[in-house]
Amino acid sequence: MIKKCNKNIEAEVENTIHLLDDLQPLEVHHQFRTLLMQKINNEYYHELKQVNNGFSQFLDLRIALMALLIIINFFSGLLLFQNNDKQLREGISEVLDSRNNDYTNHAFAYYDQTTLPLTDDNRIP
Amino acid sequence: MTQKKELFRSLVAEHEEMVINTCYRFVFNRQDAEDLAQDVFVEVFRSLEKFREESKLSTWIYRIAVTKSLDHLRRLKRIKRFGTLKRIIGIEDTSAEIAAPFNENPAEALANKERIKILQEALNQLPDNQKTAFILSKQDGYGHQEIADILKTSVSAVESLVHRAKKNLHAKLYTYYKQH
Repeated sequence: MIKKCNKNIEAEVENTIHLLDDLQPLEVHHQFRTLLMQKINNEYYHELKQVNNGFSQFLDLRIALMALLIIINFFSGLLLFQNNDKQLREGISEVLDSRNNDYTNHAFAYYDQTTLPLTDDNRIP
Repeated sequence: MTQKKELFRSLVAEHEEMVINTCYRFVFNRQDAEDLAQDVFVEVFRSLEKFREESKLSTWIYRIAVTKSLDHLRRLKRIKRFGTLKRIIGIEDTSAEIAAPFNENPAEALANKERIKILQEALNQLPDNQKTAFILSKQDGYGHQEIADILKTSVSAVESLVHRAKKNLHAKLYTYYKQH
């Protein structure tokens, strides 16, 4: 009885496994290719739109970056110029000071200019 | 673009039957198989430029078909977890239904439908590589070399996978029929 039962189970197992061998191949639906090409067209246009969006976004980003770089360049140039101007002015004043000091030195002085009080005797007519 | 489309059109014409039938053997459902085949060809179209000719074009396409089918089965497994809840609510999940593959009388068709369900359950318990090797070996048009190329392994490994798959499947089905 058990042997018979096992035989039945074995037969069921074999039948089930053999279903894969007996599986009839599917025929392709006549609209399969039409639907697929429709999907592909949608996909292509979607892709194209995405590329365009991506490109315009990239362009926007590039313009923004360029504007930022120009601003940074302008201000750094301005700062540099101001700094140089200050240094130049300081340099000129230093040179002038030293020259003044040199020529106002007592050793180089041709005469001592003393300021006299303005009286009737020394007034220039 | 038109050149690419023309090439693609010829590819579809050449491989559509094989792709649909490959997917069908994994999912046992015509509608799902056709949807999967559509996804396969959309993927082929997208990645056609990336194809590096490391394998045959057909092997590459069938590999995509296998991957998509396995992904679909994984997705179904996840959906099945919520099946009980759906049944309680009263929504029927038609995507999980199996189409009767034979032109038989209703009783036989029902019996086969039931058997296919059991077979599918047993197959889904196998590891992916065993399942793939076994299913493809049962389909006309796939030699062991082609299966080895799809699975990126050797012919001897494929033979071993098919052998182990048969053994495991037999054991699972035997246990099932013994219990029911």
